[in-house]
Formats: sequence, C-alpha cells, structure tokens
Amino acid sequence: MLYFWSGDSVNQQRIPMNKLKIALIVLLGILSFSACEKDDICIDNDTPLLIVQFYSAVDSTLSKDVQNLVVKGIDGSELRDTIPNAALDSIRLPLRVDRNTTSFTLSRQTSIDDINIDTLTLSYEIKELFASRACGYIVNYAQLQATIQPDDSVWVQRIIVDTALIENSATTHVKIFH
Amino acid sequence: MSRYFISLFFTCLFLFLPCAMGTAQNRPVNLDRKDTTVYKQAYGLRAGIDLSRILVSFLEDNYTGLEIVGDYRLTNKLYVATEFGNEKKTIGIGLGNDVDNAEGELYNFTASGSYIKAGIDYNTYENWYGEQNMIYIGGRIAFSSFSQTVSDYKIYNSNRYWNPEDFAFGQSDELEFGGLSASWLEFVVGIKAEILKNLYFGGSVRLGFLTSNKEPDNFQNQFIPGFNKVTEGSRFGVGYNYKISYLIPLYKKANTPKEKKEEPEAPPVEDAPVEDAPGEDTPSDQDTPGDEGTPGDEGDGALPPN
Repeated sequence: MLYFWSGDSVNQQRIPMNKLKIALIVLLGILSFSACEKDDICIDNDTPLLIVQFYSAVDSTLSKDVQNLVVKGIDGSELRDTIPNAALDSIRLPLRVDRNTTSFTLSRQTSIDDINIDTLTLSYEIKELFASRACGYIVNYAQLQATIQPDDSVWVQRIIVDTALIENSATTHVKIFH
Repeated sequence: MSRYFISLFFTCLFLFLPCAMGTAQNRPVNLDRKDTTVYKQAYGLRAGIDLSRILVSFLEDNYTGLEIVGDYRLTNKLYVATEFGNEKKTIGIGLGNDVDNAEGELYNFTASGSYIKAGIDYNTYENWYGEQNMIYIGGRIAFSSFSQTVSDYKIYNSNRYWNPEDFAFGQSDELEFGGLSASWLEFVVGIKAEILKNLYFGGSVRLGFLTSNKEPDNFQNQFIPGFNKVTEGSRFGVGYNYKISYLIPLYKKANTPKEKKEEPEAPPVEDAPVEDAPGEDTPSDQDTPGDEGTPGDEGDGALPPN
C-alpha cells in the first residue's frame, strides 16, 4: 500500500488503513464524477425568423393566400435563392444578423404574364443575447419597421408591424394586406 | 615454539576477556526503564508553489497561472492553510462535436483574475518517528475576482440563408465583462511528503461548492480563476494542484498526546494510536498495533516477525 519514502517499511502495520481508504475513496469519487458533464448541444435557442402573414385588404381579419408567391432576398444588387414558403398565407423570413436592414422581393403571379414584384425592406435594431454555453450568442430584433418600396404597380396595399420585438418565431410580426 | 604460541594465546585471552565480558554484562537489565528522550517536531511556516499551474502555463498557449501555497502548523495535526494565485484561461467553444481549430469556434472567452483561499488542513496520517508526512483533509473559503472577455463570437442561427458557409460574426470584436466575483467553499483531500529535509512535495484534489457567483450581464461564468470550470446547472466544481513547498522551521515542540493521561490505568497493552515517540517498538506494542493494521490485513506486505 501507500507509504512514504522516508518511512521505516518494517512498521507498515501502523498506517491507519481505514483513514487512508476513506481518503482514497473520496478522491476516486471526486475524480470519477468530475468527468460527467452535460452534452453541449444547442437545441433550445435559436435566432428567430420573421413571420409575415398575408391578409385581405378588404376584410383585415381574413387571411388571404398569395398566388404563386416567390420571395427572394436582396443582397446588394443581386438576388438570392427563393425562400421556400410552407403555407400560402404566411412566410418565414430570415433577417440579416450583420446588417440593420434586410430587403426581399415579393413576387405575386396571378396569370402567365401578370407578375408583380414588390420590394419589402425591414429595418430593425440588433440585440445580441447570450443564450447558453452550447448556443453562444443569438440575435433578437427590436423596433422593427417595415416598408414597401413604392413603384408604379404595387400589389401590397398596406403593411403593419404587429410585433416590433422579434424574440421567437411563434407569433406574427408583420401583416401584409393585399 | 608451539608452547610460546599457546602461552601467548592465553595471555591474550586473559587480557581481553574481562573487557569483553564487562561490555556484555556490566549493566543490569532495567525492566522498568522509562523513555527519557523527548521527540520534538518542527513547527513553522511552509511556503511553496503549485507546479502544475506552472507546467500547464508552459505547455498550453491558452493558459497562464501561478499559485502560491502556504500553511502554518497549529497543533500536532492541525494546520491553517492558504492558497492564492492568478489565472488566465482562454476557452474556445466549438459547435457540436469537437472542432479543434479556431475557425470552427462559435465563440471563445478569456477568464482572467485572482483568487485567495484560506482554511484548515487536518492531518490524518500517523507519522512514524522522524517523519513529517501528511495525508490530510481540509476545508477552504475561497474568493475570486475576475473579468471575462468574449472574442470572435458568432451569431448562432440555424437558418443559413444569408450566411451559407458559416455563422455571421457578431457586431463587436470583443465583449468585456469586468468586476465579476465569486466565492465558494472547498473540500480538500491531499498528501504531502518530505522528500528532502524541510522540502515537501504534495498534491491535492478539491471539490468546490459555489456560494455566490456574480454573472456578467450578457454572458456566463464558465471558468472562474481558482475554482476551475463551472458546469452549467451545477454549483460544484473540481480542481487540483501539485505543489512543492519548503518548511521554514520556527520552533520545535514535542507532541504531548492525550493518551498519556490514560496510561496509568491501562498500561502497555492498549490500542491507543501510536505517538510519534521512539522506543515503542516493543513486542507487546506490535501485538496490538491498533484496529487498523492487524496482521493478515490485506495488502500489508512487510509485516515484522512476531
């Protein structure tokens, strides 16, 4: 067992074995539990998406589908890929976390040669929040403002910001009437 | 010729025999002999340095640390002990499974600060004559004052529409959180062994329990200097050190064990814990060395012949 260098090994039986054992067991226990740790996987937190819901311009309580809605992000002078939309009357848009404004083109196609494209610009304040050890920082958006670029043919008639603070993707943030 | 040698032999015999016999049998055997030598142990201040922190500072780029250790012997078994030091550690948090390069990090942070721990050590090891070793348990109250700096942080976003390759970096290069503090209690188990005269080598394992932790506004204390890593959702933490220390002997004091009071009632055949005094290795003592080390106890290796 454990004894020290300067000790007289003949007198081994004098080592208080019980105390030694207790000390070793405590030590081993600490060491073995110190290896246990929660998995660092980010699941609970995320940067929220902007929820846009489409309503009828005639009856503002009635949601209204947009025919052949195609939404693309504008990055400088070029267009990004189409953002897939899950429902016909709403779309989830990702906002840029490194800029204070994000612009999209909303295109509605009612017939073969009737394509109307409007430009939606969203400006907001970025709030960087520490979410958790695994997720690090996420962004929430505050003081959201939405504008439609006026051009000669506008299919969006009215736009209102329902929730100016975007903390999650559960509620509608922007309502578009058409 | 041969007679000469024989007479020489007898002359020598008679000349030296009395001396030889005298040395062997002059003193009568005193069965009631008392041990008059007083075994005095050195008391003093022991100061040292944590070797592991120095070694890790050299080996790892992201760590620098220094810890001074010290203790002062109060009684035979009790010591007041302290540790104080400074640590700076940078930890990078990768996303998902280990991404070891800095490019794959979600963020990294540097915790930097000083700490002090004070408490007691209790020696549970029964030293033999001349030994000054310790197997000790102890407790500490600890306090740390530190700052956290987050740098190269990215914004976690499961939607990769705008940044298909990687997460976008945050708006600031660095986020600094100063004026943080934490306090905790520590349970210590350790050993100290005298390897040279007054020079000790030892190590300890520590279990910490956070009693207060002032968190930054928009971050989290994941590493506290002195406390080590903070586990999410738990107040416990573990630490260790390997130290080398030097005893500055201030005075010597004999251990006066409490057992001496009981001695008249139950003389030699008691199983009192062995004192650090010489002349105890009488056979009767070895018959009853205490409840711990009876012959036949497992793993005891070298037992003296009885």
